[in-house]
Formats: sequence, structure tokens, C-alpha cells
Amino acid sequence: MEKHSVIGKRIINVEAWDKATGKAIYGIDMKLPGMLHGKILRSPFPHARILHIDTSKAEKLFGVKAVVTAEDTPKIKYGAQVNDEYPLAVEKVRYIGDEVAAVAAVDEETALEAIGLIKVEYEELPAVFSPREALAPGAPQIHDVANNVVTHIEFERGSIQEGFEEADHTFEDTFLTSNVHQGYLEPHVCLAQVDGGGKITLWGSLQAPARNRDLIARVMNLPASKIRIIQTVVGGGFGGKATQVISLYPICAFLALKAGSPVHILNSWEEEFAASRSRMPAEIRLKLGIKRDGTFTAKELNILANCGAYAGTGPAVVSTTATRATSLYRFQNVKCQANLVYTNLTPIGSYRGYGNPQLHFALESMIDIAAEGIGLDPLDVRLKNAIKAGDTSVHGWVMNSCGLTECLQEAARKSGWKEKRSKGREESRGIGLASMIHVSGNRAVYPFFDGSAAYVRVNPHGGIDLISGEAEIGQGSNTVFVQIVAEVLGVPIKDIRPIPLDTDHSPFGLGTFASRVTTLGGKAVQMAAEDAKRQLLEFAAERMEIRVDDLECSGGHIYAKGSPAKAMEIKEVAKLALHSRGGAPILGVGTFVVPPTVVVPDQTKYGNISMAYSFGVQVAEVKVDRKTGKVEVINFLSVHDSGTILNPLLSEGQVEGGVVQGIGYALFEEIVRQEGKVLNGNFTDYRIPTIYDIPPISSAFIEVPDPCGPFGAKGLGEITQVPTAPAIANAIYDAVGVRLKKLPFTPEKVLSALREERGTKVPDEIKRSSHGPV
Amino acid sequence: MEKVRTGKQTGRATSKRRGQTFKVPKMHQVRVKVNGTIQMASVKPEMTLVDFLRDSLGLTGTKKGCDIGNCGACTVIMDGKPVNSCLILAVEADRKTILTIEGLADQSRGHPLQKAFVEHGAIQCGFCTPGMILSAKALLDQNPNPSDEEIKEALAGNLCRCTGYAKILQSVKSVTRQGA
Repeated sequence: MEKHSVIGKRIINVEAWDKATGKAIYGIDMKLPGMLHGKILRSPFPHARILHIDTSKAEKLFGVKAVVTAEDTPKIKYGAQVNDEYPLAVEKVRYIGDEVAAVAAVDEETALEAIGLIKVEYEELPAVFSPREALAPGAPQIHDVANNVVTHIEFERGSIQEGFEEADHTFEDTFLTSNVHQGYLEPHVCLAQVDGGGKITLWGSLQAPARNRDLIARVMNLPASKIRIIQTVVGGGFGGKATQVISLYPICAFLALKAGSPVHILNSWEEEFAASRSRMPAEIRLKLGIKRDGTFTAKELNILANCGAYAGTGPAVVSTTATRATSLYRFQNVKCQANLVYTNLTPIGSYRGYGNPQLHFALESMIDIAAEGIGLDPLDVRLKNAIKAGDTSVHGWVMNSCGLTECLQEAARKSGWKEKRSKGREESRGIGLASMIHVSGNRAVYPFFDGSAAYVRVNPHGGIDLISGEAEIGQGSNTVFVQIVAEVLGVPIKDIRPIPLDTDHSPFGLGTFASRVTTLGGKAVQMAAEDAKRQLLEFAAERMEIRVDDLECSGGHIYAKGSPAKAMEIKEVAKLALHSRGGAPILGVGTFVVPPTVVVPDQTKYGNISMAYSFGVQVAEVKVDRKTGKVEVINFLSVHDSGTILNPLLSEGQVEGGVVQGIGYALFEEIVRQEGKVLNGNFTDYRIPTIYDIPPISSAFIEVPDPCGPFGAKGLGEITQVPTAPAIANAIYDAVGVRLKKLPFTPEKVLSALREERGTKVPDEIKRSSHGPV
Repeated sequence: MEKVRTGKQTGRATSKRRGQTFKVPKMHQVRVKVNGTIQMASVKPEMTLVDFLRDSLGLTGTKKGCDIGNCGACTVIMDGKPVNSCLILAVEADRKTILTIEGLADQSRGHPLQKAFVEHGAIQCGFCTPGMILSAKALLDQNPNPSDEEIKEALAGNLCRCTGYAKILQSVKSVTRQGA
């Protein structure tokens, strides 16, 4: 492997110091002179016709500066993938929390009081909460689409019939996944300001500012040039602040336009749970055909997924559920039918993994069920079927690099798999594993391109500006970008400054989703740095009267190879260059577009959607309390093939954070609703893991450089929580012999399963299904 | 010498203007020592300490996450004890001594806990960080050599969604007497 000076080192996060000292300015911290506070009036009904809105009393309240309803908007529909929602409800509301009106006032209390003074007359309509109800004949129609189906996916590859005929055994089961929230700590927040020319500036805690701008421009009926988004420091995102911009942002802009003053809106956590976009719940029926020797012969899927009231990113999310995990193995015969259905619940969206954890839960659980059924070690079954570098998966995905087999072997070795497996039953201890695959960028998400652009500006005072269109949301992408620039230009980390993302100045970045930022954004940064280097060397070569090829960049200097005494400081070169160009600095431009082998998939979701696929294996060790049903994760290992690891310190952080989110998903997180109303909309009733819930987590990286990514890197952010739930489910089975097929594995469910296994009657209060999604 | 700052004072009145009625709320005088400086201000009775710190004093390093005492992002140290400043009224902080992240240490040199969090990679989005560091400081002030269990107990009220806590635990351990 090539020797690097900064790449691969444990470089500390370049933004951490500001965050540790309280200097970092987040969306909630933004303030402008004359700033008003906005509040949103939300629908109390899951489905209703709006007959009349009377805002007169609210308008008269002292301190109220603007009240807006749909009448103040151009009534244009928008959406990340389907244009089916208005920022403020027109004629109908479709879920409890749907935005109806909004107020801007001198302070938050006044805005809240004014919200209470708005009178809305509704005519309640019948509502549906599960996809089955919504699909039933005669069900209320939520949008103008037949049977409330948002997305229908259907495909067969190879021959499913032949595949099952070839099998010695078939296994079939249904798995239920839950609706969980990203749980970032900073709620959605926006500050909007309008200048004299009508140009709107929005400061927001956003993951995809350029695309958010385009959506907001659409609903405001303005050219995108009239909207500027400046990204603040983001208090966590995990997909929740990505391409589906929630209505809070355009509403904030409408209020600022009407009030003529800046307006700040901050969601409460009650509003976050009611009206932000969480993870799609799904019912997954999976049938697996397997030969006696463990070879998979066929896989059939039926997916029924709950979209909630608006499509948002749902179509892409369900498409991920329908396909992604399949490419872990050398399947040849697969069939899938998936329906994403509108209901009168809060719309779902993207959350770290984008539909991928759902199918992983079903498939990786099923592989263990099948292995047990035919008497093979589930590790060996996975090894037998694992996809390999050079393969093209059944969905047409091209594996330029793939370390799945190595990850399985390393996971087994490191965890002591052979020694521990099936040995803990007496103590109710168990070990389980699950494999994972994810993308590094998804060509299917944005129809026009996938790629990235960056500028590297070398300033005469020595500082180097890094300008990328991709969004840092805490994952550390700016640190990795800085490392890439430092590596290419041979300058110290401290000399490079990431410039805050601003749609008026930054390149058009698609945003932080699909684990694309390090791989695609990093590639663009690398190319920008190389372009800047080329310009610096050319300029220096002229001055020093040396051939470009004989020059080298290192330690902040450009010098002649072999004779370091003949050198010029980079800042000196930058200064002379600037002087000779009338003030224009050296500006390296990097533009990276994914190779043409990466395509938008066809109607059946066939096609190579990503430039690089990441792999890995997680091993969970659990202890189950047979008396209470409580599952404790006592040890956890996560082994990854994410290509070259650019920064082990940050990578470990991604793994540890992802695994702990995965533990929450597996064991206790679930948004509970009754008739569409959230019952646990706060962090006491919706518990996310605390420092008490974490096992020792170790991470390992199989560093197989990818031929396409920057320095061989691939995505890592999302994959870290993709297989956590099935790894835990498989470990629970190893511990106590019960198979849990419904997330989360609460003590009630574990206890119920244990009693059923013993053949004892399960009391109704335990059996009662816990507000399942489907 | 202590610096004294005075907030603006408002009387008690009701008024009618342009057909709009409004009440001027009763204001309370508070005198709070924040990061070593005495702050005098008149506050509404319902104003929380977190809003007082952030909005009245501009100390936005204290983060407001859930505003109902669930997440711990707004943790500050009041008279030596860590508190959720969203659960304390500004009037309750009268005559009290408050330490926020801005007052933890000389900003250029930093506190050992701040350094440890940065160096151990315990900060991702950073939204929980100020509260987390202050909870840890309150613990270490009382108990310079805590066990893992004691650290966990002290930080159990501070949620972090990014890091999975492992590096936070390591950071705090590194500045205990034993870890140092």
C-alpha cells in the first residue's frame, strides 16, 4: 500500500474544539436584529377536510406580526420524489401534525397564544393507519391515487420456480420492523430573512442544502437564485434532515416575507415526533430456498410498507428494502413484490440505512433459521454464498471491491465464534452474527447525476480554503476532506479551513445521504487539491526555472526533488500568483461524476446504482434474563470492509455510534401511536440508549482499497447500524432458543416467546400486540 | 473586582393600542453570578434558566435540546451541582452561582475535559458536548477518581445520539486521577 502522511492517521476532528468550548453556532443559536419567533398550527385530526380558517383573532393579538395559511402561498405541491404535499394544508389534512397555519410574533409565548386563537373548522374524514386497511376495497382515499399505493415494485430475476425446485429445503416467515426516530438532539430549526430585493436567506440545520433550496424555491414559486441556504452547524441528522425538507422551512420563509422581519422557528420535540420523518416500518414475508450444502437457490419477498401521509423519500426507501440485502450473496433466482402505501400517519423518511436495516433484519434472521433447519453453522452458510470482488449481483451491481468473505473470517476469529457458538444455552448466553452491504452513493436518488464538486483556494496569507457542496453534519466529513487536501498539497492540517456550506458560494452538492460524502465528495476534494497543486507547481516551475516534474510539495513548501534547499513557500507562490493574475487566487476545481457503469436502475430496480459497495459483519453477544425477558448485549464486534480507512479515530466513532443506534432499534425504540396520535413523543417515553445501555464495542477494518474511491475509501456512515438488529436476534436464539421476528425485542416479547416455546399459556396482556405498524 | 451588569427594567401595566390588548408581565429582579460575573436582570416569572443564559446573556454554548429535562444538553453547574437548566426557572437561580461551558476555562487553553473530548474523538455533532462536559466536571469536582459505574451514573442523564458513548467514557476516564 502507498505510504501516506495524513491519510489513515487518527487526526482529531477539525471542528471539535469549537464544539467543546460552546463556540459552534447551531441553528438554534441563530439570532438577527428584529427577529420574530414562529409557531406552526398543526392538524389535530388524522384525516379531515378544512372547511374554514379564521385567523382574525390571532392577527389582533398584540405582538403578532404575521399569520399565514395556504392562502398566502402559491399552493404548489412538492416532495423529494413525488409532488404530493403542500407546505401548508390545502383543503385537507392527512395526519395529526400536518401543517395548517403559522404565526410570527415578537416572542415564542405570543406566537403560541396566537396559534391557539386560530379557529379551524374541520370535517372529519375516515382515517386508515395500516397499509392493509388502506389497501382494502372502499378504504378512504388519502391522495388521488388508486388503492393508496405510493410505490409498487415487482420483479423476477432468473426463475423463482426453478430456484425453489432446485432447493432441498424452503423456509418461509414474516418479519415486522418498527417505526423509529433518528433522535438527533437538535430539532428542526430555521431562521429566514428577506432582503429588499425579495431574496430569501435561510439558515438551517440541514443535510442537503442545495436540494433543499430547490424544493423550497419550487413551493414558493421562485427561481432557486432567489433562495440562499446557509448551513449552520448541525446538531445531528442521520437522514432526518436530508432531501425531504419538512414544511417548517418554507413556512418560515413565507412568514418572513409577510412579516417583513426575520423569523426563527424551532420545533418542539413533541412536534418532532408528530411531524418529522422517521424510519419506514414494514412487514416482510420472506421465502428462502436452500440446498443441503447451504447454497441459496431462491429468495422470494413480499413487502408491505407504511408510508404515512406523504411520499417524501419513501419510494427510494422501499426500493432499498426491496433490493439491497440481496446483493450480499450470489443469488440467481429472486422475486419481489413490494407495496408502499399511504396511511394517515406521520410520513416516513430516511434514517441511516435508508430502508436497508429492514430487509437485513428479515434476510439475516432467515439465514440463521435456515442454517439451523439444515444443521449447518450460519457462518459457513454465509461464507458459502458470499458475493466476491469481480461478481455482478442479481440486481446488476458490480463489485469492484468486496471483502465480505474476509470480514466473515475476521469476525469469526476475533469473536471466538467456534468456541462460543451454541455453548451458552445453560447460562442463557448467546452469540449471533449478521452480514451487511451498503452503497457509497446511490445513483437512483437524484435523476440528473451522482457526483460531487469542490474548490480548493490557496490564499496568499498561507491559509487554504476548502469549499465543498457536501454537508458536514457531525460525521466528520470536513476533517476527512481536510486530510485529503493536506495529503495532496503537503501542508499542515491547521492551515486548511473548511468553509461553511452556503448555496450562494458552494458547489451544488447533493447532500449527506447514501454514505456518499467521503467517497464522492472526497474524490472531488482530492481532484480539486490536485488541480491547485498543478497550478502551484506550474507557477513555481516558471519562477524557479525548474521543470514541473522535478518539483515536489511538502511541509508547506515547493522544492526541487533531491535538493530541498531550492524551495519556495507555498504561500509565497500563492501570493505571487495572485499578484500576477489581478487578484485571482489559485483556485483548484475538482469535479467528479460517477463512471458510466453506474446507472439509474430500470423500472424493476435492476442496474448498478453505486460506484462502490461496502460490506461488513457484526457479532453480538447477549445474555437473556429468562425471568424478566430482558436482553442485555454484553459484547459487540463490528468488522468492516469500507476500503481504505481515511481516519480510524472518526471511523471507530461511526461504528460505535451506529451500533448503539442499532441496539436501540433492536431492543426498545418504537414510536407508539394510537389512532394516528403519538403516545410517546419525548425522550422519556421514547427511550434512546443512554451510557448505561452500551456494551463494549470493538471495531475492525479489513482494508481492501477500492479502485474508485479517494485513496481507496468507501462509505461507512450508515452501514454501521444496518445488521445490528438481526445479529442480536440471532444471538438471542443462540442464548435461549426463541426466534424473534418482530422489532423491537422488548422484555414483553421475549417473555412471550419464551413462554410459547415452553408451551405455557401466555397471558393476554403480554400477548397483546404492541401497536405494530402493519 | 466583580463586574456588574444591569438588565432593563419593566413596570407592571396593561395597555390598549390599535385595538390590541396586551399585558405587560410582572418582572422579577434576579442577581446571578454566571462564569464569575454578577449579572443583574429583570426576568419574566416563567423564564427558564436556559433561556435566560442563552437569550438574555447570549451564552449559546448551553444547548437547548428537548426543553423538558429529557436530554441533558442544557446541563450547567449551579452551586456546584449539575442541573438541567431547562427545568430551573431564572428566578430560582437568584443569588446562585452558575458555570456554563463558556466559563469552564480560559478559552484558548481549555479545560482538561475539553481537551480529552477533542482528542479522544468524543465529539461528533457536538450538541450534547457542553452538557456532557459539565456533568463530567461536576462529578470530578466531587470525586476525582470515579469508577466506570460512577462515571456512567453521572452521565446517565446526558443523551448522545452520535458517538455511542464509548469515547465519551474514555475521555472522562483519561482525566480522572487514575487515568491521568
